[in-house]
Amino acid sequence: MQCIRFQLTDGMSLRLDTSINYMNISRFLLIIAVGAMMLPVSCKKEVATQSSNTVKTTPYIISIPKFFPTILNIPADNPMTVEGVTLGRYLYYDGRICGKKDTLMSCSTCHQQRYSFMNGVGYAYGTTGVKTSHIVLPHVNLVFNSNGYLWNGSVTPDNPFYHTPGTYGGNIEDIVWIAMTDVSEFASDTTKSKEAIQAISIYPPMFKAAFGSDVVTFKNIAKAIAQFVRTLISSNSKFDRYLDGEENLSPSELNGYVDFETEVADCYHCHGTILLTTNDFYNNAKDSVFTDPSDRYSYTHNTSDIGAYRASTLRNIAYMAPYMHDGRFATLDAVINFYSSGLVRSPYVSPQMYHISTGGTQMTPSQKADLKAFLLALSDSAFITNPAFSKPPDLP
Amino acid sequence: MKKLCTFLLFLFPVIFLSCHKKEAATNSTSTGNVTLTFAHCINGSPVQLDTMIYTNAAGNLYEVDDFKYFISDVQFHKSDGSVTNINSCTWCYYVDNTIPSTLTWDICDKLPLGIYDSISFRFGIISSKNLSNMFVNPPESAMAWPPMLGGGYHYMQLDGKWKDSVNNIDNFGTHLGIGRVIYGSDTIFVDNSFHVNLPGSGFTLSAGATPVIQIIMNIDKWYSNPYVFDFNYYGGYIMMNQDAMHKISANGWDVFTVGYIH
Repeated sequence: MQCIRFQLTDGMSLRLDTSINYMNISRFLLIIAVGAMMLPVSCKKEVATQSSNTVKTTPYIISIPKFFPTILNIPADNPMTVEGVTLGRYLYYDGRICGKKDTLMSCSTCHQQRYSFMNGVGYAYGTTGVKTSHIVLPHVNLVFNSNGYLWNGSVTPDNPFYHTPGTYGGNIEDIVWIAMTDVSEFASDTTKSKEAIQAISIYPPMFKAAFGSDVVTFKNIAKAIAQFVRTLISSNSKFDRYLDGEENLSPSELNGYVDFETEVADCYHCHGTILLTTNDFYNNAKDSVFTDPSDRYSYTHNTSDIGAYRASTLRNIAYMAPYMHDGRFATLDAVINFYSSGLVRSPYVSPQMYHISTGGTQMTPSQKADLKAFLLALSDSAFITNPAFSKPPDLP
Repeated sequence: MKKLCTFLLFLFPVIFLSCHKKEAATNSTSTGNVTLTFAHCINGSPVQLDTMIYTNAAGNLYEVDDFKYFISDVQFHKSDGSVTNINSCTWCYYVDNTIPSTLTWDICDKLPLGIYDSISFRFGIISSKNLSNMFVNPPESAMAWPPMLGGGYHYMQLDGKWKDSVNNIDNFGTHLGIGRVIYGSDTIFVDNSFHVNLPGSGFTLSAGATPVIQIIMNIDKWYSNPYVFDFNYYGGYIMMNQDAMHKISANGWDVFTVGYIH
């Protein structure tokens, strides 16, 4: 009788060997039973072996604030680790990352913590003086956004471009790549960047700790920076403390909150949810002629997206002037006045602009003041001073 | 050794018998599944979004651009009087024209086989269950209804445009949710959700078959009967207008019909 012997290989897997004859059925059953009982043990051992052959990192657990989304936009090939976040923070602030001997430029050059990781002036001009196509967007609460990045939402896994060789799947990692290569940003290349980082003595060990190799790759540079950016979570404004019952809003702030949430100011259909943005895209009636080659339509080719841009978060809005995709409004007062009486008709105005018929929400001066007071209550001063998000003090 | 071998001899078939029993329990022949699909029509034809070709009962030329809504507390009613409540995986289902996958709902609940008279559901969410912050993730989280207007979630956001009385193209949002009425110093919140007993929704659930039942929202009906809804009168936004929302809700009685049952 030909029986089956389960043999443990060096790789701790089970191999079927049918070449051996056994005459005793009880011995056969014993072997089957023992083999079956060993199966879960050998699988566990297999996992342990894999762990010991790769670097042991420390998971970075994102603490999700109350009422915030529980679904996080973290790609499967870049899990959050303490080592990755630490490395990312160094790289985020290190001007040598651009790989140019006569220029220092880092992510933090244009994404400054004091401006909620925006730049405080609007457009950026990169290393070659070329202006960015839109003003700088803030790095805040990006881990909660799964609906595409940038003003037009084109950085998304749904975009086939980000599944081509050299790209990283359509997430924050690709934004790092764009920043490095775009003529209006670092205007450099990934080889120069990784060579520059490789040559700095503190980094190879940090890459080893985070990714298991002290050979710097741009992919791992992008991954590390993306991990750090995903930790930039803002959730401690006065408004948050009000929602938690820890602090009261002033009467003006409270009135502004009511107007924000209702059709008096009607902000929340686009700037709603606890994130103060739906992370969706709208034509908010700024213009009647549309010539921007990088609006939402440039990605979707849906005519209803002509002149549409993302509704950016209003969290920390007081720190993030100027406003709109082109920075046309220098102050919050200008923005409020626009929505109150400055709407411009076009065939492409998003239907959510319900007040288009009257040119705007037609708010009174006191309603405008209340709305502004509420917007200022969305400021999270702890976020813009949190040392965990700041430049490492030992970074040269 | 002999006893060990004997034990193992009996253990081996027991293992297989118990697996077989478990397998039999999960593949019951007394229940089945149902799939609901959602279609959206105007004047009996599938709606063409972003296209201003429709005229409502008030004579407004209009278009529909986006729609999103909740149905909840779905029930399947058998001819013997028994009712199956759909709540195993979700009791509240979200439909969104921008998310095609929401147009098909493979209900995970197992329904007893047999003849069903009808399907019913609640359009929107009953106030007792319409709780703020119960949805923290998109897309449902974006349906939040203002706390000062009653909280919870929109039942529906139906957005579009109409040509007004001076031939301008204006935007409308037929948004339905909890209504707020202020009487002096008193504030009353009104539940504008409503029960739908879907006409013509009887079907037979047989072993091994998953019926697919199409539910149609006839969008034009929101604006017609018993109340003729004029955009020029009510304007583009109605969330703070309980009279307008009441009329939309009241018009909902014949909005939903059954398309096909396969």
